[in-house]
Amino acid sequence: MVSQRNVRAWQPAPRLNSRPEPTPVSRRHKPDYWLVILCVILLTIGLVVVYAISPALSESAHVSGNYYVFKQLIAIGLSLVAFLATSQIPLDTWRRIYKPLLVVAGLATLVALVMPVNPNYPAHRWVRLGSFSFQSVELLKFAVLIWLAGFLSHQIRRGTIGDSSQTLKPIAIAVLAVGFVVAGIQSDLGSTGVMVVMMAAMAFVAGLPLKKIGTIAGIIIIGSLLAVSVTPYRRERLATYFHPEANCQNSGYQACQALIAVGSGGMFGLGLGRSVQAYGYLPEAANDSIFAIYAEKFGFIGAVILIGIFMALFSRIKSIAERAADSFHVLIAVGVLAWLCVQTLINIGAMIGLLPLKGITLPFISYGGTSVVFVAAAVGLVFQISYYTSFVGRKKVDNSSRRQPNDNSPDRRRVRGAYHPDSGSRA
Amino acid sequence: MAFRDSGMVDMHVVKRLRVAYAFVLAAMVIFGVRLFYVQIIRYDHYKQAALSDQLKHFAIPASRGIISVHEAGATVPIVLNQRLYTLYADPTFIKDPATAAAKVAGVTGGKVSDYEDLMRTKHTRYVVLARKLSEDQSKAIAKLKLAGVGAEEQDYRTYPQGSMASQLLGFVNNDGVGTYGIEQALNNELKGTPGQLKAITDINGVPLAASKNNTSVKPVAGKDILLTLDLSIQQQVETLLKNDVEHAKATDGSAIVIDPNNGAIKAMANYPTYDPSNYENVDNADLFNNDSVSHPIEVGSIMKSLTTAAALNVGAIKADQTYYDPSHFKVDDFNITNIEEDGGAGVRSIADILNLSLNTGATWELMQMGGGEINSKARNTWYDYMVNHYRFGRATGVEQGYEATGYVPSPKNNGAGINLTYANTAFGQAMTATPIQMAAAFSAVMNGGTYYQPHLVDSMTDSTTGKVTVKQPVVLEKNVVSPKVGQELIPLLQNVVDKHYFVPGFDQSKYIVGGKTGTAQVAKPGGGYSDNIFNGTYIGFVGGDKVQYVIVVFMRHPTIGGYAGTAAAQPLFGDIAHMLINNSYVMPKAH
Repeated sequence: MVSQRNVRAWQPAPRLNSRPEPTPVSRRHKPDYWLVILCVILLTIGLVVVYAISPALSESAHVSGNYYVFKQLIAIGLSLVAFLATSQIPLDTWRRIYKPLLVVAGLATLVALVMPVNPNYPAHRWVRLGSFSFQSVELLKFAVLIWLAGFLSHQIRRGTIGDSSQTLKPIAIAVLAVGFVVAGIQSDLGSTGVMVVMMAAMAFVAGLPLKKIGTIAGIIIIGSLLAVSVTPYRRERLATYFHPEANCQNSGYQACQALIAVGSGGMFGLGLGRSVQAYGYLPEAANDSIFAIYAEKFGFIGAVILIGIFMALFSRIKSIAERAADSFHVLIAVGVLAWLCVQTLINIGAMIGLLPLKGITLPFISYGGTSVVFVAAAVGLVFQISYYTSFVGRKKVDNSSRRQPNDNSPDRRRVRGAYHPDSGSRA
Repeated sequence: MAFRDSGMVDMHVVKRLRVAYAFVLAAMVIFGVRLFYVQIIRYDHYKQAALSDQLKHFAIPASRGIISVHEAGATVPIVLNQRLYTLYADPTFIKDPATAAAKVAGVTGGKVSDYEDLMRTKHTRYVVLARKLSEDQSKAIAKLKLAGVGAEEQDYRTYPQGSMASQLLGFVNNDGVGTYGIEQALNNELKGTPGQLKAITDINGVPLAASKNNTSVKPVAGKDILLTLDLSIQQQVETLLKNDVEHAKATDGSAIVIDPNNGAIKAMANYPTYDPSNYENVDNADLFNNDSVSHPIEVGSIMKSLTTAAALNVGAIKADQTYYDPSHFKVDDFNITNIEEDGGAGVRSIADILNLSLNTGATWELMQMGGGEINSKARNTWYDYMVNHYRFGRATGVEQGYEATGYVPSPKNNGAGINLTYANTAFGQAMTATPIQMAAAFSAVMNGGTYYQPHLVDSMTDSTTGKVTVKQPVVLEKNVVSPKVGQELIPLLQNVVDKHYFVPGFDQSKYIVGGKTGTAQVAKPGGGYSDNIFNGTYIGFVGGDKVQYVIVVFMRHPTIGGYAGTAAAQPLFGDIAHMLINNSYVMPKAH
């Protein structure tokens, strides 16, 4: 059923397919530099905010005034390395090493589970190697992204994307495994949510029948209800979420202080150096709560601008996904998009009192090395994909695609070229 | 399927991607609306919420004025300040009370569970965890950087003379308010004006850099007060009082030494005393009272000196006259008698009335004021003297907390034995007065008729300007009695001292020493008088060419044998008079 020629368009992992290595279909062209520019803008904003509140942070942590900025600069340097690696090492290579990646991520998770915990953060989420430490779940996100994109594109190629035992079962197992380890043992509901939504988005876009997605969604909903109901602190957080102002003095403290920070920023904000909430009132001022500090400093105008920058970044990634060269590329881009969107939405939503606090970072803005390095790595993948995007009249392709799977795509050859978002209209 | 095998992305995929992306867009729009609501519409609400957390009001305590006394021509402080720290918590900001409590206890040495309970207090933003921390402890607490725990400065009083004059001084409670004694009466002068600091602070209450919300007002220190007390006289009176109270087996006692020529109090002692720096440990709050000022008593026979002075002043009697004393008078169907040793009926002199302490004599004096019987004229005259001349029934205004006014019965005929009541007032029963009222009234007689307000404040010093304000004696009443009557009283009272055979005796050729005993019956709670419980009182003077000191002594419920006035109070008067003479506080006669 699958013709030789079409198989060549895909680059299956050797295990899956023993056929000879195909050549890339899409020609390399100018990448989407806006991706990099927008990320740099966001990183700069984050660094400036961390710099502005570092007196408050270092005061309470008993470290020198430059400690936080210095550490964040190191993280940004590491992010650059990660970005270069993921944007230059061929995606094909990434796809092929999904297994070692999963194994490493699994091992890191195991190490995190057995590591003694920092009493301030009594969850088994961190892997520490000397002064260097990272959150194992970020690596797990990255590995799951690569695996799932490869897996789904393989199922698409085999035509078994709608098959329960071939496609649905492994995904369901993966979701349950993540739920059990990350939500269950590490108590990291936020990261679990990010991963589950990322996986769901990829499956949805990949064309998994809605009924099957519904099944998984059912499992997830039941699982989350269980997760919430068995853990007292989650029940408390949920109660807090519904009545934050009634619990300002105990469980709702952070939510209330975040709202106070955001609200007291007003239209124009207090000014860069004038945040008060960072001085001990708002917990995690540089990490999870940094959006509230930003909104306190720069007001409604600043907050809307920041959201605008995020939206610009997301729309670039979305455009790249729409024009990606093949289904693996599409799924990677969709996964990264979902990852960034969900993390941004959950983080900001919690700060403005629309969503419960989940303890996850705001991409690029939050202080903290692990998040920024892996987010940069993810964007690097998308950047590489942007080298190979097509500028295509979709409709034509679409019309023929289902009926004529063996179409040899003369159109595609004709239109294949650099996709320049600024260069003209879309079809 | 969704993908063509060629790898091209088909429209179906794009559709699903756009559907998913639409959710993100919708969420972002909702976020924008929500931000508008929180930051623009509800701005005032959140701004206020922020300020109520961030803007802290600090009272900068003003130094309380120090209190000094005279000592050998100089002054010496007897109440000073020590700056200590009060540790407080704002439970709102304490996330982990158990850990915070353990850390605090590590510095203060207090109980962890107590602190933890306090830190869990609901519905408050201020609980006091500990008081009187040293500066080092306060700094150690600050180093812990516990959110919601802070220390504030507070002045505590220290007393170089320990418990000396404790009831007179009073104490300063934990809220910084003077309570009892001088501290209460002059709280406004002593306390100064606290400064104020309003500042945006970090969570530990450390003010942040200048903000337009920050304001500050400097504190103004309280006034320093120099008392009229003489340290040496006070100390010696306290020692003598203690010894004599113990010797007389009295429950407690008090003594006043006052300058009758200006109302300045030289000593005002009570026994037992307490340690004002540990006033919290006093079980019975009665101990805080300065009985000389706060506790009116039926003064007993010492009143006869004032009755005699009044009768002399209105011309009802003459100092050198005699009269027939029947040894009992029937007044309102009640027999007024004397003590057993009165010698029976016979001819008596005015000197005998005072020396033998004849109740019938004092009654006779009252009768003379009414033209020979106790009638409304007698009552009104004596009432006028008690209230308008001697100022009983109203506070003297001495600088003490809780001054009592005492009680003088109305002279109006109430049909219930008013004459008997008034006969009783003539020898110090059926009316009450405080020792300081007695001292002031007696002083007015002895100085020839000027009633000076008894006072404890010599001068006040404004601690900002250094300006000293000397308190001038205040004359509350003139012509209390004529100077002649004052002069007539002196030998009459000297005679009492001479006849009572003090050991050692007084050399009346160099000094004048006179006085009058009092053995006051004690009213029973249910009415009537107790048969076996008495108060011993004594009022007297020492001087040279003129009266220089008036001494009033009070002994509560002495159980030593003999009459309370003679056996318990008189020795203390003698001891104090000797002490004043022996230490050259009394100027002898010039000759």
